[in-house]
Amino acid sequence: MFKRNPQNREHPDRAGKLVLRAAVADEQEIEAASESPFLFTRVRARIAERQRENESGGWQSLPLIAWRAIPAMALVASLAGGLMLWTARPANTENAANTPAVGFGMYEDALTDTTDPGVEQTVLSRNNLSHEDVLNIVIERGEVEKKK
Amino acid sequence: MQPATEPTDDVLVAAAAAGDEAAFEDLFNRHRRQVGRIAGRFFAQREQIEEIIQDTFTKLYFALHTYHGTHEASFKAWLAQISVNTCYDQLRRVRRRSEQALGELSENETKDFSTQLRAARSDIEGALISRDLALKLLTRLSAEDRLVLTLLDVEGFSVAEIAEMTNWSISKVKVRAHRARAHLRRIMRKFL
Repeated sequence: MFKRNPQNREHPDRAGKLVLRAAVADEQEIEAASESPFLFTRVRARIAERQRENESGGWQSLPLIAWRAIPAMALVASLAGGLMLWTARPANTENAANTPAVGFGMYEDALTDTTDPGVEQTVLSRNNLSHEDVLNIVIERGEVEKKK
Repeated sequence: MQPATEPTDDVLVAAAAAGDEAAFEDLFNRHRRQVGRIAGRFFAQREQIEEIIQDTFTKLYFALHTYHGTHEASFKAWLAQISVNTCYDQLRRVRRRSEQALGELSENETKDFSTQLRAARSDIEGALISRDLALKLLTRLSAEDRLVLTLLDVEGFSVAEIAEMTNWSISKVKVRAHRARAHLRRIMRKFL
C-alpha cells in the first residue's frame, strides 16, 4: 500500500542527474583556470601569509585557544563543584539530624538568621560545648561578677 | 606514465617537505589540472576554480610532512582528498552566504527549466539544461548533499571511495546519498 512506484522516481532521478552534470564547468574553463598566469605566485603568497599568521600567533589565535579551553574549564569547574559538595557533606548522618554541618550552607544561614535556634546549635557544636558546659560558664561568670 | 628521468611524486613531496621550493612548484605544475578538474565538478566560474586550486595547494603545503605515500597512486588519491575537502568547505561557505538569495527561480526561469526538463524526457542524451539554472537550483541542496551526489553521479566514484575521500563512514555516505537523492527528487518534481 505504501510502496512507492519506482517509475515515479525514475524521471526525477534522471532529471536530477542531468542538472548535476549541467552544473559542471566545461573543459575550456577548467583549462583556463588551471593555466592561469601567476597562479603559483598567488599560492606562494598565500602560504607566506599563513606562515606569518602562524609565527605571530597573536591575538587572532586567542578566541581559538579560548574556544578549545572551554571544555577543559567546564570539566575542572564541575570537578571542583563535586569536590566541594563531597567535602561539605555531613560526616555523620545521625548527628546531622541534630546539628547543622560545619562549613555547609546551613552554617551560614544559621549565623545570619538570629530567630532560628540554629545559631545556638552552631555555636555549641563549633566549640564542642554541651548545654551543661554552657550552664557552668554562665554560673562561673555570675560568681566572678558578684565577687567584683 | 612519467619518463624514468623525472622524479616521482613521492620524491618531490619529500624534497618539498624538506624546504625545496622547486620541488613544490613541480608538484604544483604536475597536478594543478587534476585539482582544477575536481573543482570544476562543483564550481563553474573560472575564479572559483582558481580559488580552489590555490586553497588546495596551500593546504597541501602545510600537510606535506603528514604524507607517507608508498606508491605512485597514493599521492594523487591524497591530493584528491584535499581537493574534495576544499570544495566541500567552499560549498558550505557559499551556501551560508547565499542561503535565501540564490535558490529562488523567477517565473520565466521556472518556465524555461520545466521546458528543458520535459524535452529531456523524450531525448535524454541530447538534453540541454541551462548551467546557470542548474547551478541556481543546486544551491537548494546542502553542501553535503551536493558533494555526495556530484561524486556519485558526475564523477562516478564508489561509496567506499567517497568514504575514503571525505573521511565519512560508508554507512554515512549511503545514508547521505539516499537523503540527497530524495531531496533532489523532490526539487525536480516541482518542475516536471
